[in-house]
Amino acid sequence: MYIHRVFSATATIARNTFREAVRDRILYNLLFFALLLIGGAIFLGELSGGQEAKIIVDLGLSATLLFGVFIAIFVGVGLVYKEIERRTVYAILSKPVGRGQFLLGKYVGLCMTLLVNVLVMGAGVSLALAYVTNGWDPLILRIWPTIFLIYFELAVITGVALLFSSFSTPALSALLTFLVFIIGHLSGDLKSFATSLGGTAARWVFNALYYLLPNFSYYSFITPAAHGQIPTSASFLLAALYGCVYVTVLLSAATLIFNQRNFK
Amino acid sequence: MSNRRSVTALSVSILVGLATVVGISRATDIHNKEASSAPPSEEQLYLQGRTAKRLSLAFNGLAADWYWMRSLQYVGRKVIKYEETQSGQNGLDDLAALDLRLLPSLLRIATTLDPQFMAPYEYGAMILPTFNRAEAIALLEDGIAKNPEAWRLYQHLGYIYWQGQDYSKASETYGAGAKLPGAPRWMAEMSARTAAEGGSRRAAREMYQHLYEESTDDRVKELIVRRIMQVDSFEERDRIRSTLAEYTRLVGRCPASWREIFPLLRKTQLRVDPTSGAPIDPSGTPYLLSKQGCDVDLDTASRVPYK
Repeated sequence: MYIHRVFSATATIARNTFREAVRDRILYNLLFFALLLIGGAIFLGELSGGQEAKIIVDLGLSATLLFGVFIAIFVGVGLVYKEIERRTVYAILSKPVGRGQFLLGKYVGLCMTLLVNVLVMGAGVSLALAYVTNGWDPLILRIWPTIFLIYFELAVITGVALLFSSFSTPALSALLTFLVFIIGHLSGDLKSFATSLGGTAARWVFNALYYLLPNFSYYSFITPAAHGQIPTSASFLLAALYGCVYVTVLLSAATLIFNQRNFK
Repeated sequence: MSNRRSVTALSVSILVGLATVVGISRATDIHNKEASSAPPSEEQLYLQGRTAKRLSLAFNGLAADWYWMRSLQYVGRKVIKYEETQSGQNGLDDLAALDLRLLPSLLRIATTLDPQFMAPYEYGAMILPTFNRAEAIALLEDGIAKNPEAWRLYQHLGYIYWQGQDYSKASETYGAGAKLPGAPRWMAEMSARTAAEGGSRRAAREMYQHLYEESTDDRVKELIVRRIMQVDSFEERDRIRSTLAEYTRLVGRCPASWREIFPLLRKTQLRVDPTSGAPIDPSGTPYLLSKQGCDVDLDTASRVPYK
């Protein structure tokens, strides 16, 4: 009975967050521009010397990731802040809803929005591929595991944005989340710094950063996907598991900080 | 009423402002063009491949596409510029004249960003050897190191060696590629033929035909078609020369026009222009009589490569 109540409250917050995000004009604009970009890939492909399909996959999936990151960051950092600013957080938290549930609901709501976006953009890329290949190409199906990897990455970025927004302003949270996105894609360099540096302390620091910051290279499969490759089931499942665990850590940390906040 | 006025005033100011901006841009462009009387210097690449790869984050495939298209545009611009200044067609035959000094770096960056991207290797194998054979070999060897299972890269590298008349290396490379899984049987045949016949026309035609069949790039295909036309033309010109020699032996002088040797030419089954009686080259342009009618040559308007 208790568990049902907890889930029901979280699901309600998630549903409302999803509705609010879908109604958000910024979200539609981003989606529109992403689809426009995918459409543009068809024309760019004509300049590519017979590489239309590769260019469409590269451009389409990169747009999916980039616009997804913008949505995750700009909507994610405002999730909690807006509720505090509008003072609606008092009304929500005065009900039998825990602060953790509130954050989890917000997170799930935005992840649902991102899932819709990613699926629409993925379908757009598939349609563009079908158009340039005059019907059918194995790439149309083979890109989908990569699309789900992009979604997992976006889920982690949303978690990071939510964590920062639980204690910081939207502008600073957006900046910090974007930096984490960049560092997460350069984690291989952190590892090589750690091995190339002589000092033990510096090695420890870089090793710690490598393991503690999110490693987005696990989700980077756009380039091989454009050649028709699909990730192995082991690497796909490990990436999904890594994302789940990392999001759990991020949401736990966000809840911990949010629990300490005084709204008076 | 005042609201309507302000909307009108703002709309007018936007339109006038945009028109002014366009005017200023045009004036600036004209001024800058006049100011720089010196020929524009060669553009520079700011990034090396590894730096570009690091900076492109998760988007290295997209960055590779960008550099690939830039390579095509770079060659295209050079060809247009050459044709404008030399008032003639280049058609990628005389690449040394185009000064394509940035092309090796552009292709290198594209393949560093996406090592599995085959189009730049293929394009490099076709274009680079004419002005930088060492760079062409280095590009293909790098590609083979990163894609050891790609037999097509061995085919392209073998072609570069063959074109450089290093037939033993070409044979060796075809042989190495033939051992890879998925390699077609003709790779082993090409290895044997290159070793036995070297630069024979039969080997050349076969090599170009396989390159044509495997290529997906229309520009590369066009280049290969012209090379096949060149091989055909060499054979046609040999037949015409023997006809000319036969005529000279019979009459005691070289012909003054194609009409004089028309009956002999018909026996060779060459295509002949019905009005002038001149034999037609593979691109459809009539051949020319040269050296006072004792030899045959390509017309300058012909699409068959001269060299």
